[in-house]
Amino acid sequence: MSLEIENLSAGYGAKTVLRDASIEPIRPGSFVGLIGPNAAGKSTLFKTISGALRPKAGAIHLAGADIVKMGRKRRAQAVAYMPQAYGCNALLSVFEAVLLALKQTSGWRVEADQLNRVSQTLTTLRLSHLADRGISDLSGGQAQMVAVAQALVRSPQLVLLDEPTSALDLHHQLSVLGSVRNEMRAQGTIIIAALHDLNLAAQFCDRLILIREGRVLADGLPEDVLALEALGQTYCVTTSLETTQRGSLFVDATL
Amino acid sequence: MTDVPAETLRLGYSSLTRKRMVTLLAVALCLILSFILDTATGPGGYSLQTIAEVLADPYAHGARLKVIVWDYRIPVALTAVIVGAMLAVSGAQMQTILNNPLAEPFTLGVSAAASFGAALAIVLGVSVIPAIGGLLVTVNSFVFALGTCGIILLATRLKGVGAETMILFGIAIFFTFSALLSLMQYMASEDQLSRIVFWMMGSLSRASWDKIALGAVLLAVTIPFALMRTWAMTALRMGEASAESMGVDVARLRIEMLIYISLLAATAVSFVGAVGFVGLVGPHIARLLVGEDQRFFLPLSALIGALVMSLTSIISKAVTPGVIYPIGIITALIGVPVFVSIILTTRRERLG
Repeated sequence: MSLEIENLSAGYGAKTVLRDASIEPIRPGSFVGLIGPNAAGKSTLFKTISGALRPKAGAIHLAGADIVKMGRKRRAQAVAYMPQAYGCNALLSVFEAVLLALKQTSGWRVEADQLNRVSQTLTTLRLSHLADRGISDLSGGQAQMVAVAQALVRSPQLVLLDEPTSALDLHHQLSVLGSVRNEMRAQGTIIIAALHDLNLAAQFCDRLILIREGRVLADGLPEDVLALEALGQTYCVTTSLETTQRGSLFVDATL
Repeated sequence: MTDVPAETLRLGYSSLTRKRMVTLLAVALCLILSFILDTATGPGGYSLQTIAEVLADPYAHGARLKVIVWDYRIPVALTAVIVGAMLAVSGAQMQTILNNPLAEPFTLGVSAAASFGAALAIVLGVSVIPAIGGLLVTVNSFVFALGTCGIILLATRLKGVGAETMILFGIAIFFTFSALLSLMQYMASEDQLSRIVFWMMGSLSRASWDKIALGAVLLAVTIPFALMRTWAMTALRMGEASAESMGVDVARLRIEMLIYISLLAATAVSFVGAVGFVGLVGPHIARLLVGEDQRFFLPLSALIGALVMSLTSIISKAVTPGVIYPIGIITALIGVPVFVSIILTTRRERLG
């Protein structure tokens, strides 16, 4: 059931963004943080894994199946990619938006058990009070949670979150990442999240992957990766890893 | 923040679905009533009962009334319904795939292109397809409308062409064909000029059973095609990247829908001329009534577009007894306030 990425190269046209990226197999239920500066290739990696972009070389296997060769619908069932900068002005309720995510890979008719599944997902994520609300009326945090519900309702094996906390205040950063981690871990789903906030990454992730200019620089436990001198160099700052009085990791960065 | 039981959520959605079905039925009923009223009104001032008798038995009141009702009024009323539905569906789908609530055949310049095509046929007798005789004007306008849709399709494939740019692009097409149309009008004889002006104003009087059959077949063939794609089209409203991640082949969906819309829009415009804003009013009202779940939104847009067009046809005969005004004038007078209100509300949404 694990995710394996080997010698992956990808890009747009003649431009290669990802170069020969290999990642140790990711086990079910893990929460992996993808860190690195802007334009390091994080979104390109996500697009390639989710099938939106065809790799130039290399292989991606999810539970033994080749993602690149998978049919569009099967891949959409297995991999849920939550794109960056979520927001839309559609006149749809939260319930409809979540149902929609489920209906893309099933028949035209809405079945009773599909309505149950949407209802259950909304209840589990504590979004049930928003079910009738229009998606364009939601706050940034609520919209992020609805996007999570759209991913979760499909029961995917792999969830890719691109900057899931970018629009959120401190409370919502913690609550969104917390709910996602708990729910996905319970289902045995793999999560890979691109995160800019290294302290959030340290708090929630089991494992961190550091990339720069399309190459994997480091891959390991948060305490190891965040302690590397290369981390600061990657971001063009100086970093030092400290442990707070509560025992959590803290990355101190200076220019 | 109180949690709602899952069962309540499920029942809530089911009752919402029933309400939407009722809305669809209610509008369909209004459309039937409007259709009957449309056949009953017009120059001559026959009573509703007389018309009903002629509907039941064509020769009940002699050959003269048979011609008036069966060869003139029913074709006009049916054309209003079919063309209204076509314009509204093409407007609704353009708005969805271009992610722009102001997109419709008129605002994107398709109607202007069709007008130019018609004028070209009227003034110079120039045909894009040889040897079609009497259908010259209709076919010419169809080809120009379709060509413009093709240009729009190509433009959406260009890099950096966003939702706003598309409308500006439409304005550019509109002005180009307006200028060419002015040139045609300048070159036209007095008789040709009046035909061009009449065409541009949009009129149902060119209705014929042939065109109705053609339109009905086109709708019958394309409606299942559109219905099959309703889930994917609704997903597109969540944003391209979201739809893509849900398993929708966005690029392919866009092309398929644009070809489909082009056919509908070009056919509608070539039948009745430059009738604007029906493609805006229908979807706008439908959206307010049932939201954007396309399983309801699309049929309701079609019904409301047909209803608006049918009512317009009645109004065009009712304003001055004995005179039938061109419907394009009336749809514009109804449509422009809706157009402005959409601009104002979308602006407010963005600010808030």
